[in-house]
Amino acid sequence: MNLIALPVLLPLLAASLLLLVKTPRARRVLAFAASLLTLSVSVLIALRTFSGEVLVVQMAGWSAPWGISLVADRLTGILLLLSGIVGLLSSAFMGSSLRHAPRHGASAALNLERERLGAQALLQFLVMGVNMAFLTGDLFNLFVAFEVMLISSYGLMLLGNELAQLREGFKYVVVNLLASALFVMSAGFAYGLFGTLNMADIALRVAAHGPDGRITLVAGLLALVFAVKAALFPLGFWLPNSYPAPAAAASAFFAALLTKVGVYSLIRAFTLMFPQEAGLQSLLLALAGLSVLFGSLGMIALQRWRHAFAFANIASIGYLAMGAFSGSAAGLGAGLYYLIHSVLVIFALFLVAALAEKIAGEMYRDEGHLALYPWLGVAYFALALAVVGLPPTSGFIGKYSVLAALLAEPTPLRTAVAACAVLGSLLLLYGAMQIWRGFFWGESDAVHRVRLPTGMRLCTAVAVGLVVALALWSGPVYALASRTALDLQGNRAYTEAVLPSAPPPQEPRAP
Amino acid sequence: MELLLPLLAALLVGAGVFLLLSRALIRLILGLVLLSYGANLAILVSSTDLTPLGPPLLDAPGPYTDPLPQALILTAIVISFGTTALLVVLAMKVYRATGTDHVPELLGPHDLPEPRLRYANPESPSVSPEHGPLEGPSESA
Repeated sequence: MNLIALPVLLPLLAASLLLLVKTPRARRVLAFAASLLTLSVSVLIALRTFSGEVLVVQMAGWSAPWGISLVADRLTGILLLLSGIVGLLSSAFMGSSLRHAPRHGASAALNLERERLGAQALLQFLVMGVNMAFLTGDLFNLFVAFEVMLISSYGLMLLGNELAQLREGFKYVVVNLLASALFVMSAGFAYGLFGTLNMADIALRVAAHGPDGRITLVAGLLALVFAVKAALFPLGFWLPNSYPAPAAAASAFFAALLTKVGVYSLIRAFTLMFPQEAGLQSLLLALAGLSVLFGSLGMIALQRWRHAFAFANIASIGYLAMGAFSGSAAGLGAGLYYLIHSVLVIFALFLVAALAEKIAGEMYRDEGHLALYPWLGVAYFALALAVVGLPPTSGFIGKYSVLAALLAEPTPLRTAVAACAVLGSLLLLYGAMQIWRGFFWGESDAVHRVRLPTGMRLCTAVAVGLVVALALWSGPVYALASRTALDLQGNRAYTEAVLPSAPPPQEPRAP
Repeated sequence: MELLLPLLAALLVGAGVFLLLSRALIRLILGLVLLSYGANLAILVSSTDLTPLGPPLLDAPGPYTDPLPQALILTAIVISFGTTALLVVLAMKVYRATGTDHVPELLGPHDLPEPRLRYANPESPSVSPEHGPLEGPSESA
């Protein structure tokens, strides 16, 4: 079943070739073709996993607990599909924005440098790291995937050497290096404790061993690391300033997928390896509520496009984590539906922000652009409804089902978190209206339109179209998310596929 | 050895965290380096009592040291070497671009306190790690 190694290998090959190709045009074509190929492989894998199959490949034929396994179950299938779509659109958007960059002035030199120093290749390396993180079934390999992803994101973050990029990039690199040091330490502790790094094997051993303080410690360390990457409330302080720093296509990809890798790892850790750590999951639930408040307040406070949307991203991570750690399969299903929604909506919002920044700069202050750019207004309006969670968008369905799952068996914590969710939605509504009033509404004194490149407009249209499509086909997608949640709750299929010869899980020993 | 190595790992991590909390860029980098050394030592320590009966693949008898933690450490060393090199270059560029090696001066445009940029010349650093902000010209190191 070597098919599932391709989403890792194809971007690696493409990135290596992109470093060799000299002309910008050939680079654009190659990057687009490679992303298209990766997307089609991801579609193939996703379709096979959606039928309930768990695909496993043992790298180099070393059998499971010793070698590195790549595993694709339904959750991985969904995320690979999303990463394929976002990767293709980002690559096309990046190509178009580099091609139509200003020919003169400081930013022309900047764009030439970005193009020459391999922004496209770095994007492919980033896709490789993200796909590897979704596919791997080994804790240390997950660390390596994180590093591949982070090192290419450092490159994209810093490419261009603008003052803001250097300043914010330095903080981004330091925070992530700290988290990586913690991750490698906790992987070492996990090996010392369990004698294995294979996640399915760890799951079996934890289930056989029963509750233990040391397991809680390792789970807590891993939760800390993943929460830093996912930017949950007190640990997400680095995100709002750093994500707007790089070029538009890169920051859209960062916002849509990099934080989701952290959330994916949290979900995987607490459904597969440590399902019994209820205390830690309640803690994550509380942090999710606070993230929603933090993100929505930040969206109101900042007057810059991408900074505001970076905060909206934190709020949407909060909603997603709220569903995922509500402690029930229904909540997990709602969270996974919100995950799909969040990737698509945040990505489209960042593309809209990139177009708007091309028109009137970083701030959304000078008003009256609706008359000049009606379609941009329509796109923003649809996305604002989705991010706030008003009907008839997918945001409403996601938030409603997260709230329903939280209030199904209310405890004081769940009720408080649900209150945070409602309050956060109102604040997000205010923030989204503020942008609408600031940029689109009112009278304009601008005389002529800024010409927006066709490629960029097309990518944005496709991204917004996907959000609309998600709302239209909510039924099947929601059913898929619920089935995935049921899979994750009883993770037999995953462990059996990875370790076919392992004995069935025993009853937990009395502590 | 059983006690010494964990203590050493703890010392390295502690020193790393202490340096991370200071305000000069170069100390921050040194802190991260010490922290990653501490992490590597912690991996080694936490797996010392894992001596399986024999190597998993050969038929040779006898107790062997588990090679996996060492492989993990090797990978971690390589990665932290690369990222540290990147970080040093980045710190150099940040210093050239902003004219400061003082972390609180690296605030963004809308972080709440107004950034007080001190445009130092490279001969006299604006801030000394030992004595905080320097007033007036100083001897260059």
